[in-house]
Amino acid sequence: MSTEGVRIRIAGVGKEFGALRVFQNIDLEIGEREIVSIVGPSGCGKTTLLRCIDGLVKPTEGEIRIDGTAVTGPPRGVAVVFQHFGLFPWKTVYENVAYGLRLAKAPKEHIRESVPRHIELVGLKGFEKAYPYQLSGGMQQRTGLARALATDPHVLLMDEPFASIDAQTREILQFELLRIWESRPMSMVFVTHSIEEAVLMGDRVVVLRGRPSSVHEVIETGLPRPRTRDVLSSPRFNEVRDHVWSRLMHEAEQAERELQEVR
Amino acid sequence: MTSVPHAVAYPRPWRLGAGTQRTLIRIGTGVLLLVLWEVLVRWLAPPFVARPVTVARALPHVLANHVPAGTPTFWGSVEATVIAVFEGLAIGVTGGALVGLTMGRLRTADRLLRFYVSAFFAMPIIALVPVMTLWFGYSNTVRLAIVSLGAFLPVCLNVYDGTRSVPSSFVEVAQSYHARWWNVWFGIALPSSLPYLLAGFRLAVGRVLVGAVVAEYIVNLKGLGSMIVFDSRTFHQPQMMVAVLVLAVLGVAINGVADLATRRFLPWYRRSE
Ligand SMILES: Nc1ncnc2c1ncn2[C@@H]1O[C@H](COP(=O)(O)OP(=O)(O)OP(=O)(O)O)[C@@H](O)[C@H]1O
Ligand SMILES: [Mg+2]
Repeated sequence: MSTEGVRIRIAGVGKEFGALRVFQNIDLEIGEREIVSIVGPSGCGKTTLLRCIDGLVKPTEGEIRIDGTAVTGPPRGVAVVFQHFGLFPWKTVYENVAYGLRLAKAPKEHIRESVPRHIELVGLKGFEKAYPYQLSGGMQQRTGLARALATDPHVLLMDEPFASIDAQTREILQFELLRIWESRPMSMVFVTHSIEEAVLMGDRVVVLRGRPSSVHEVIETGLPRPRTRDVLSSPRFNEVRDHVWSRLMHEAEQAERELQEVR
Repeated sequence: MTSVPHAVAYPRPWRLGAGTQRTLIRIGTGVLLLVLWEVLVRWLAPPFVARPVTVARALPHVLANHVPAGTPTFWGSVEATVIAVFEGLAIGVTGGALVGLTMGRLRTADRLLRFYVSAFFAMPIIALVPVMTLWFGYSNTVRLAIVSLGAFLPVCLNVYDGTRSVPSSFVEVAQSYHARWWNVWFGIALPSSLPYLLAGFRLAVGRVLVGAVVAEYIVNLKGLGSMIVFDSRTFHQPQMMVAVLVLAVLGVAINGVADLATRRFLPWYRRSE
């Protein structure tokens, strides 16, 4: 992140659930046209952090500001793609994608124009009338993505969006998402378990670590945009991936040692 | 895409499809029962006891409104009962869904009401008919109150259960898209409880039919219930059996229509797990 403005400012944020302290002292600034990947072991609070940014839960300490305004509830212009898809089984693809716009009382003409456009954007043209149970996991997540994009957000929060999708589909979706982002760059927080994915998507990769967790390291990927498949075989990509890998492995080994001690 | 993936049907050594087979078996059982009824009554019972043959013979007369002078016509009775049943279902299902939803989403409403709704549900509400005649007189209002209550209670408790078990992920999505409380109640909690509402509706149909007939017996209102009492007391057993049959058909038909409507309008139902 360099010359452009800051969109999300996370300052000294911590979260406790009763006696459980999930994370603490998180400081992070995310630019207007920046993708920040977040990696960390399961249960370290990645989803919780996204919830805090979307105002769905309140941090116990610190403050999050979006465009200078403190987050107290779900802000306008922020959309989430959920780890669990979160599609409504009683709505068709069309109605699921239209959900955010309908709640925002968008004009009918706008909905009629925007919903089909976004369904096409994620490659689901022809599936407008299908119900979620008729879709594969990848198609469901595309629907979730279209629903988020249809509200024309300037902040997109992605919670392991491709985690439960097979490897090939995931790769297709990753590059589709990058293509969409190139055509309308926005501020994006991308939570993932996959180190390759984190490096491929992000301008920076944030490694969360510890218990309670905090930002252990922030790695600038320094990979060129627009990112194509060539990136995957570039020396820089491998270098960054190995670096992040060693950071996380260290963590995993330590967790293993702790477990042994407990035993 | 509109086609729904079907389970693979394995070829069977039988000629008939599984559905046809099941229908044939069902019809066979029915015929067997009718024959058994006919034979046993002829063999053991006095002649005025209804048999399938006498019922069949009475059927055209009853359907043509040939009834003893001074009693309500058959179709008049059917109409009275059917209208009461549908009014009761309309009032009870709507009210039950609204109160169940409120109890499911508002802790205060839950604490205030659930104990009493459960208690009423466990109680045979037809025990209230005599009391209600004191309140409402010997009028149609008693029947309407009983059938409405009969539909209200099971729907209310089922919708309550449904709205308590709305996946929190749905609510989270709604909130993320700035849903207000009424959007969550009516846009999320209610549709996601529809399977529960349908289960409640099935119970309601049974209870409403029982409620209507018993209220008609006791309060002596025009309807199939009082027709059954009158015909059986005057030894018109075949005529009485026609009324019983109509009630059976009514119950099966309402549930059948509900099933069809579910398949037509809620294709996602039972497939979303
Ligand atoms: N509403 C809640 N109440 C109590 N504890 C919670 C709540 N939400 C999350 N937690 C706890 O906070 C911790 C972090 O959870 P979170 O879902 O944020 O982890 P995560 O990093 O997203 O994990 P994963 O990679 O498995 O998705 C977990 O220990 C979880 O049990
Ligand atoms: Mg998570």
